[in-house]
Amino acid sequence: MIAWIRFAVSAVLIVTGLVSFAAGVIGNCRFGYVMNRVHAGGIGDTQGLFFIVLGLAFGEGSFMDILKLALLIVFMWNTSPVSSHFLSQVEYYTNPNLYEHMERK
Amino acid sequence: MTEKFRKWLDGDIDVMENITETTLQHDASREEIKRQEKRLRETIWELPGTGRIVGAERRTALIIYRVIAIISCVLLIGTLLYIVGHLPLYGVENPRATEVTKRYVEDGLRETGAVNIVAGMILDYRAFDTLGESHVLFTALICVMILLRKDSKNMRSAYEDYFTVEQDTYFRTHQDMIIRKIGFFLVPCIFIYGIYILLNGQISPGGGFSGGAVLGAGMIIFTSAYGFDKVDKFFTLKLSGYVTFAALSFYSFAKGYVFIMGANGLENHIPKGTPGAILSGGMILPLDIAVGLVVACTMYGFYSLFRRGSIGGN
Repeated sequence: MIAWIRFAVSAVLIVTGLVSFAAGVIGNCRFGYVMNRVHAGGIGDTQGLFFIVLGLAFGEGSFMDILKLALLIVFMWNTSPVSSHFLSQVEYYTNPNLYEHMERK
Repeated sequence: MTEKFRKWLDGDIDVMENITETTLQHDASREEIKRQEKRLRETIWELPGTGRIVGAERRTALIIYRVIAIISCVLLIGTLLYIVGHLPLYGVENPRATEVTKRYVEDGLRETGAVNIVAGMILDYRAFDTLGESHVLFTALICVMILLRKDSKNMRSAYEDYFTVEQDTYFRTHQDMIIRKIGFFLVPCIFIYGIYILLNGQISPGGGFSGGAVLGAGMIIFTSAYGFDKVDKFFTLKLSGYVTFAALSFYSFAKGYVFIMGANGLENHIPKGTPGAILSGGMILPLDIAVGLVVACTMYGFYSLFRRGSIGGN
């Protein structure tokens, strides 16, 4: 019984993470401007990865595995938002026509 | 610059322009001479027939170029298709397709001393191929340096130079706190991980190319976080050249020794070591380090040359 509950919880969490990744991929393909695409790409790397790792932790349960997955979270949450930040900073400082993209259409 | 290039592309480049600009720099009546030359040139180009002759020449050159291009394309396609037709079929028993693989899988550990059979393949059985790959990287770095390096012979326009210098100054003075803090925490981890991959190439997945790529990426992140000044203090063009040269020549000599010994049936004095330990696999570990150094230098060199047109600030 407990095994089935664990499986259900981990499956729901992994599917939630996959939905986030799908949103990121669709946004990356649909959007044209770099700022929007950075936003879309960041969703998968933070939210999607968090849910998938949580689901895997529920499914596995071994202490060492959870530790390794937590390390994965630490590194990905440190690097992915910083790379998004760096990309948008470079775009902000180097694009002379920045405000043309900000108008509401 | 672009106009000049377009002119050169169209075939009507102005040969006299540079000469007059350099020789008549301190002449007072430079404008007058230029005007005269321009008039002369216009009269020559307006002569009946000049344009027609040039056009005909260009047209013949274009036709010849296209014919040669089509012939070489057809030849290449034909050769490749011919070779494809003679390849062994998939799944058919033939000695060419099965014996080599069997030898690698069964005797790889005994003959090379590497637990990771892929490392044993690319750095022992097929080391000559990997040597060529390393030289390809080195050659690519040299080509990028020829094209993009800024020195006295190859200056960009003043506007572009001003723009880059201004941008660099901006990024040097407005360094971002987020990137610096994350880089402070992340760069040592990346370097340790790269060295780990480099040193464990013969006992686990990894090796020279991947470890060197991680090391180069760590240097790029360090540069993005702390600016080029910090890296320039130890990584100059001279050091990059020395490291690459030493690594490639060490690779060539070590592998040459092994090849000569093996081809002549002499005893190879390099110990294989116990499989699974760090010091195992004969020459695979030093060769991994050599390849990794070349890859790291090439990656950082590409980044630095594309970013600001020089390695190590000169």
